[in-house]
Amino acid sequence: MSTHYAESRQHELRKTRIVMIDGHVASNTSTVDAGLSARVREGGYWGFAALPSSASAADAHELALRNARAMARFGPRDDSLALPGGAYRGTHEFAGAPALGARENLERLSALQAHCRARYPALKSLRLVAQEEQHRKQIANSLGADTLASIRRAMLHVFMTVEDAAGAPVELMDSFTCKGGFGDLDLSLAALSPALDSLHEHLQAKRDAVPVRGGAHTVVMAPRLAGMLAHEAMGHPCEADIVLSGAVTGDLVGKRVASDLITMVDYAHSAGGGEAMMPVFADDEGTPARDAVLIERGVLREFMSSRETAARLGIAATGSARAYGPGDEPLVRMRNTGIVPGTSRYEDMIAGVDDGYLLVATSNGQADSTTEFMFGINMAYEIKNGKRGRAVRQTTLSGSAIEVLKSVDAVSDDDVWSSAGYCGKKQTMVVSMGGPAIRARAHLGGE
Amino acid sequence: MSMTLDTSLQGAAERALGAMRAQGFDAAMASACRKQLDELNAEQNAPSLLRSTRSQRLSLVGLIDGRKAATEVSGWDDDEALRAAVAALWNDALAAPADEANAVSAGQHARIEQGPPEGDLGLLAAKVAELLAFRAEATPGFVLKEGLASHSVTHTHTLTSAGSDLASRVGAYSLVAMGSAREGTASSSFNYAGGDTHALGALPAHEHFGIGAFMRDTLRQVKTRPLAANFVGDVVLTPAATASLLQWLQAQIGDERLIAGASLFRERVGEPVASPLVTLRSRFDAPGVAAVSADGFVAAPVTVLQDGVLRTLTPSLYASRRAGVRHVPTAAAGWSLEAGATPLAEVIAAVPRGALVDRLSMGQPAPNGDFSALLKNSFAIDGGQVGDALGGVMMAGNMARMLHDVLAVSHERIDTGALVLPWLRIGGLHFS
Repeated sequence: MSTHYAESRQHELRKTRIVMIDGHVASNTSTVDAGLSARVREGGYWGFAALPSSASAADAHELALRNARAMARFGPRDDSLALPGGAYRGTHEFAGAPALGARENLERLSALQAHCRARYPALKSLRLVAQEEQHRKQIANSLGADTLASIRRAMLHVFMTVEDAAGAPVELMDSFTCKGGFGDLDLSLAALSPALDSLHEHLQAKRDAVPVRGGAHTVVMAPRLAGMLAHEAMGHPCEADIVLSGAVTGDLVGKRVASDLITMVDYAHSAGGGEAMMPVFADDEGTPARDAVLIERGVLREFMSSRETAARLGIAATGSARAYGPGDEPLVRMRNTGIVPGTSRYEDMIAGVDDGYLLVATSNGQADSTTEFMFGINMAYEIKNGKRGRAVRQTTLSGSAIEVLKSVDAVSDDDVWSSAGYCGKKQTMVVSMGGPAIRARAHLGGE
Repeated sequence: MSMTLDTSLQGAAERALGAMRAQGFDAAMASACRKQLDELNAEQNAPSLLRSTRSQRLSLVGLIDGRKAATEVSGWDDDEALRAAVAALWNDALAAPADEANAVSAGQHARIEQGPPEGDLGLLAAKVAELLAFRAEATPGFVLKEGLASHSVTHTHTLTSAGSDLASRVGAYSLVAMGSAREGTASSSFNYAGGDTHALGALPAHEHFGIGAFMRDTLRQVKTRPLAANFVGDVVLTPAATASLLQWLQAQIGDERLIAGASLFRERVGEPVASPLVTLRSRFDAPGVAAVSADGFVAAPVTVLQDGVLRTLTPSLYASRRAGVRHVPTAAAGWSLEAGATPLAEVIAAVPRGALVDRLSMGQPAPNGDFSALLKNSFAIDGGQVGDALGGVMMAGNMARMLHDVLAVSHERIDTGALVLPWLRIGGLHFS
């Protein structure tokens, strides 16, 4: 038996979370989760160990090695798999604006609360959830990689609640996100007022929402939904571990899976001429990260991979192995997934629909090995004769990703990105997603 | 029994509480926690990884003049680091607005020990081997994307300046299987099953938590069909899908909705909010659960729904004081929907037209209960017979309405540790 590969990671995850409900601070919490880990591949098996920061790297390596050797109880395994991918050496830390203290953060939220209360007096409730998150990782491995990298993001979720005519709560949320910390998040009224007015306007319309007609419809997805479409529809099915587990995408490389208007990329660290929201220069296996072009003008091109999944599929590693917390092992994860903008105008895309729906805001979504995907739609309107009509009730968009993407007949020239949510897959993960408005045929749940 | 409690944690919590008193906090809570996990993983039908984690966490809550802040750090051995954490907490608390609803737990006492304190690596390996053997022999078309058997033990000691003193040692085994079936170039949807138990060795792996049944069902879900036409009919929710309904109900009676005044049930205690067939009770002694709340209270057994009547809300101490409702401490998990009198076969046989649904794939239901979901891992029911697997089918309705429209509760239930749930037949859903 030989040790083919070993890596170590020092990992610190810092979070601050403030929840203000109608001016009352329901949560005001800062956390630090720090530790070190080691992972070893020996005899074709992996061993992993994570210990508190006070432990030694040698202790972590020893436990990981013992764990890999303990797996030998399952019998010999092919040990000849050579793990591809280079060895990155470098430092990438986003500095951003100076950190803000708790007092400044709370003052900013209080000011926002007061503004909304004065401007939207009919609100039943206003909930503000502010969170900043910093991941700092130092990684070294037996291939010579040595990296220090940090990812930081900050976000504010604004939840507005009113009552409908029957007194039932009607709620809508918008998110504001940025790379960096609270100091980088522009919460000035000049920056937020238009979006808050729009949120309130949608909420008022939702009070009188009508049911969606369940079934297949022409839908225009607003630019901020494109990232969710990319992430759920074809992002997950293009993760190499999902492919190895039988996803239908495994047989489709080089084949048409979308309209030729669709190009979809999981960007590693740079997009649109600048650094991406979640820049990954090297992944948590020390592999130099590169963009993965998932779909190029409608044709499926490649998958996102770790070293092992790349080896098993016989493809080049993309540097997509990421671990969320200090105790987590790296898994194949998306980084910054988006659809490349097209040339249509968003307004023209709506004007071109006789009978359909305009989808404005989304919540969480799910993907599948079949490429059948869904995501929740919190805010949508009918489109009648090219004009926005009545608001509709909560619905869900779904369909076969391939059929939906093949039906795309317009892609706008917008490019809107967000890093508001978490991706879930054994562990959670911070990702960003974005792109333009999309017009397609898809299934909406309803009556 | 007290021999197995980790007494070093009490010292850590006492030292932290002392540091907070010295800083000047009016009231404080300190909780020291140590966790050990050993997890044996299989991936793509083969054993792959043994993962061991050892972690520790010190959680602090401090109040000064009604102002509150909280923090968590990864250790407590370094006095200097502890002082720095307490000083930062002090600044965070001073920055917060005063709120008369803030308080810490007082006079609570508990010593909880449950579950196996030590994991058996041989047992973990045996269960993963059984899972792989079952897959190969009984469901060879199933691809086990992830399978894991693990043991964890969590020691916690919580002290407050108002005299609460709660210590626990909770050990549990977990078993999870997740994957899809493949036939030629076609694939089923992913599905999973799993749970926590004190007695991993008591049953073959596939007999825990409905794992074998879901793997077998998945084989029948490679070929699916859409609906010929939209209709209104009945749904039979499996325990996994019933959990989605329960989750919505719990959000309605929990902190955020109560504080915001945006709960449908805030004023409904004592009234029927569900079918008389529905009774929901806690089981805070479930595997992997300690019967204490996150804010330091003993979580006594509680009945939320009795024959469909809402008996209580479940606010934390802060939410109860802020919303003006009775404080009801709850543990992090542990709920049981009472079994019904009807065998599952009869529950299904009574459905004229509808679906047997294992996964509601959906966004967050609206606060008023409106939702629509993509049906995953589900079958059509026609004339009381389970038919083809469904593909591309959606179901729309209202969660609050569904609670009222429960027509039958199965006698059979699945116990996943955190939840013991039956199958529910519910009428009046829109399928499209």
